[in-house]
Amino acid sequence: MSTTEYIIGSGEPPLVTGNHTFASVTEHICGIPEGKQPTWWYLAFGGALSLLMVLAGSIGYLIWEGTGIWGLNNPVGWGWAIINFVWWVGIGHAGTLISAILFLLRQRWRTSINRFAEAMTLFAVMCALIFPAIHVGRIWVVYWMFPLPNQMSMWPNFRSPLLWDVFAVSTYFTASLLFWFTGLIPDLATFRDRARTKIKRLIFGFLALGWRGGNRQWRHYELAYLLLAGISTPLVLSVHSVVSTDFAISIIPGWHTTIFPPYFVAGAIFSGFAMVVTLSIIARKLYHLEDFITLNHLEKMNKIMLLTGMMVGYAYSMEFFIAWYSGNIYEQFAFINRATGPYAWAYWIMISCNVLVPQLFWFKNLRRSIPVMFIASILINVGMWFERFVIVVSSLANDFLPSSWDYYSPTIWDILTFIGSFGLFFTLFLLFIRFLPIIAMAEVKGVMPQAKVEHTEVAHE
Amino acid sequence: MKFDAKSYRITEDGRVGQVALIIGIIGLVLTATGYFVDKAQFYHSYLTAFFFWLSIALGGLFFTMLHHLVGAKWSVVLRRLAENIMICIPLLAIFLIPVLFGIGELFHWSHPEVVAQDHLLQLKAPYLNVAFFIIRAVFYFVIWVLLARYLLRLSLAQDGGHTESISKRMRVASAPSMILFALTITFASFDWLMSLDAHWYSTIFGVYVFSGSLLAMLAFLMRIVLYLDGVGTLRGIITREHWHDLGKLIFAFIVFWGYMAFSQYFLIWYGNIPEETVWFLHRWEHDWQYISLLIVFGHFVIPFFVLFPYSTKRSRPVMLVMTIWILAMHWVDLYWIILPNLHREAVKFSWIDFAPMLGIGGIFIRFFWSRVRVTPLVPVGDPGLEESKRLVSH
Repeated sequence: MSTTEYIIGSGEPPLVTGNHTFASVTEHICGIPEGKQPTWWYLAFGGALSLLMVLAGSIGYLIWEGTGIWGLNNPVGWGWAIINFVWWVGIGHAGTLISAILFLLRQRWRTSINRFAEAMTLFAVMCALIFPAIHVGRIWVVYWMFPLPNQMSMWPNFRSPLLWDVFAVSTYFTASLLFWFTGLIPDLATFRDRARTKIKRLIFGFLALGWRGGNRQWRHYELAYLLLAGISTPLVLSVHSVVSTDFAISIIPGWHTTIFPPYFVAGAIFSGFAMVVTLSIIARKLYHLEDFITLNHLEKMNKIMLLTGMMVGYAYSMEFFIAWYSGNIYEQFAFINRATGPYAWAYWIMISCNVLVPQLFWFKNLRRSIPVMFIASILINVGMWFERFVIVVSSLANDFLPSSWDYYSPTIWDILTFIGSFGLFFTLFLLFIRFLPIIAMAEVKGVMPQAKVEHTEVAHE
Repeated sequence: MKFDAKSYRITEDGRVGQVALIIGIIGLVLTATGYFVDKAQFYHSYLTAFFFWLSIALGGLFFTMLHHLVGAKWSVVLRRLAENIMICIPLLAIFLIPVLFGIGELFHWSHPEVVAQDHLLQLKAPYLNVAFFIIRAVFYFVIWVLLARYLLRLSLAQDGGHTESISKRMRVASAPSMILFALTITFASFDWLMSLDAHWYSTIFGVYVFSGSLLAMLAFLMRIVLYLDGVGTLRGIITREHWHDLGKLIFAFIVFWGYMAFSQYFLIWYGNIPEETVWFLHRWEHDWQYISLLIVFGHFVIPFFVLFPYSTKRSRPVMLVMTIWILAMHWVDLYWIILPNLHREAVKFSWIDFAPMLGIGGIFIRFFWSRVRVTPLVPVGDPGLEESKRLVSH
């Protein structure tokens, strides 16, 4: 067995296949933004931009007309906007988990996927932040969410989890951006060095912050990266825990349950990995990244989906069991109503997609089948959207006062705003592919066999 | 103590086994005396000690399965110690018997006349009744014993050869076993701890108990590692690098435990529904608040800051103190869960609280040590052993 295929002594399959050299990695990854974009890129970008216009139009009309254009009613005061917010924030979590927690756990396979998973995090959080912002109704005073001194002495309510969200998500966005940018610096310097026009050289030179790749620079860089990983790790847990408190601190049956914080975090990682798999299958195909994002990478992500899917399943069953065990008729009603009531269809979509679909990944051949994991990853994100739908809508629509119960249906504006948010996400993502290295070149080179040059003792028989 | 570095076996040991056995017997005699002095106190103290040692053994089972499942390399040298901890589960099955005899003293839902007066308990009766309770307890132990014995048998077989194929079998077995483990430890903690206050409920309770259990097991493992190092065995095999990684894992689970504890407390406090807050109220009145605060600071704040720096996790004296401290805090945590059901009006420490800790603990360590004596201290057949020995932690 040649050393380029197996790292001596570890017995692990290689993380980068195809006999790449450092130069060929640089050529391949830099070639994507440097070369001419394929036709599909323009088509996709056109499509994404159109959807972005749909988002802009929907938000414009919302601001003009007010939240009455949505399907909200009394008692369902929270509808698609909050569902979409939680869904998009959740998707972001995989990026941070890959970049921070897997880094601390010395999982070297993360290097092939961390760059665009982190980009996905940033764009998903941007999409998420739109929804609570436009939900406030009077968007021109949205800055009141921040504790800004003012002559009316009005302050946000610090006891409200909605305010904690403002801090949690904005901290999360800032830390993720810094982390992503720090990771980009060596690659930006490569871009600078390869730039053919003066403008490009200036821009990349500015962004590369004077990176020369010296020993001291690497030492500082590694330390900064480690510290940022340490700072970002609690954020993986805290952000969705805070989001879960939006529901769990209230006393609405189906919302008020102590397992919510870890349950939401597991669900967030679950949906985030599903999104990473969806995107990486497309990206590796279109840009021929099969040598970098190998089936082993995808299989590992599928295993994480199997694990987190079952954690979510555990939380569903605990909620159900404790609702019965509590003896509290309101709790019991909330859960039986979910499974059999007017929103039972949504509940069973959730269970099928989130609990049953990941069970496919018990089987190695299904775990390594691109079509299976592609469809499964999309179904999982459908399921995770419905999970939030079930939580938000079913508990509100059938609350304590049966006389005020009402069935919730979205309007065309709910749907267009949600679809439009994909426009924002994909526009940003396509621009990212167009201008930045989608694989962390410097890091990938570090896990290639050629990088392991230290003396290794080989037993002599 | 003499250690043969070739076979990784202890050839001549000190008096660990004898000392543990003597302490165990004295402890059990005292425990038995406690039964005649104060029956209710005896059962509550006994349950605390039983769950304390059980949680360490279950932590060993989880650690072993997790190691196989993720294909961990760094912890290969620790695996056999974890396996020897998990194989104490059958021993604890014997120590379950007094708990079953104590159902009447421990669980007020077991009295038909109480249930007759209590609408909620009537609703819960299909789950909370003596027969089903015993069936479940037996069922949990059957699962745990089978898992522990199966994994240990494979592991010992690996010492003799067929290393790759056995590694794979252990990995394959660990995945579905994790599901069984998660469900059994959850319902065991509902049964033996949560149902002590039968009206109260919390969906996170199983995960809360699990997090504390694994933390205690990691501290126990670290303490054993430090002991073996101190008596001169395993030098150059389990190194400071492993201490550091184990220390990091302990740190991570201190945070994880804190996260679970905070989630449970915070959501109940904020929701402020009397049927839920009453559980914490009982732990905040009549001097119980000092125990509550001790847990906040002792179980989270202090270990968090002590174990945060790089140097402390690699420091022998610090880790010696902290492992004992964490184990003590785990006991306080269980005490805080169990004893307010007996002494609602005041914190009353009794010598009976400590007797079963020594009794079960002495026998536990004696049993553990006898396993350590007869098996190589590391899984000699594991293909990752050499790599694990060379670990460098950052």
